[in-house]
Amino acid sequence: MNYPDDSALLARLLSGEQKAYRELVATYQGAMRAVAFAIVGSRNADEVVQDAWLAVVNNLEGFQGRSSLKTWLLTITANTAKTRLKHNRREVLIDDLPGPHGTIGDEHFADDGHWLLAPHAWHQDTPEKLLMEVELRECLEKTLVSLSASQGSVLLLRERQGLELEEICNLLDISLSNVRVLLHRARLKVFATLEHFEETGKC
Amino acid sequence: MLTCKQLVERSGDLLDNRMSLRTRISMRTHLLMCINCRRFIKHMRLSQAVVRRLPVEESAALDSLAARLSEIRQGKQRGNHQS
Repeated sequence: MNYPDDSALLARLLSGEQKAYRELVATYQGAMRAVAFAIVGSRNADEVVQDAWLAVVNNLEGFQGRSSLKTWLLTITANTAKTRLKHNRREVLIDDLPGPHGTIGDEHFADDGHWLLAPHAWHQDTPEKLLMEVELRECLEKTLVSLSASQGSVLLLRERQGLELEEICNLLDISLSNVRVLLHRARLKVFATLEHFEETGKC
Repeated sequence: MLTCKQLVERSGDLLDNRMSLRTRISMRTHLLMCINCRRFIKHMRLSQAVVRRLPVEESAALDSLAARLSEIRQGKQRGNHQS
């Protein structure tokens, strides 16, 4: 097996060790939920994730270690979600909802493409210091919740789970250019929230 | 010559390191000369790090899910041994 950490965990999972399952669930639930959410939407996402977990437990012997455990889990989740959608025509969701603090759009630039509203200096310059502010954390949660299902999922899979853009395309059946658009829009909204908070001290 | 607006539009490719050599050079050149865009990119990277580290609440639901999964597995093991 090419993934030594996975193979150690897999042995413990096969023996049914509860602590191993807690590790597995804590590590991958968020990513699995993001995949399900992007494909079937919020109403059915939890059910899809549950079904995917059952499929995982029942097919552990089938995991060959040709991919990472993470890729395997996310592929099962995506397939479970797509099966659920089989009879519904799936729309590619690149919908864009307004973020609570806007984005960096045309109004920030002059006609010649220079900054009109230049970025502010921030008070903090590390993520740790920024995240010490409870109000900012809550504010960011709000922004993340405000993202469309596909924007939020792509952001989470890329920034928190570290997936390559190609992996995200394959899991969600979205073209590379759409993934890039979704990710860019989501990032700008997060940026706008931080910018707003650093400027005003308020959400 | 790349404008600030164009640099912002393409900033994702910079963050994800997906630029052609030509784009890389024109972005680097622009950033060398433009303090606003340097600040923008710096803050975009900081935003990424913040999203990565944003704490999520550990929920009790995950514990019960894990317990259930390991029970299913143990049941399966026993079934295999019996058959």
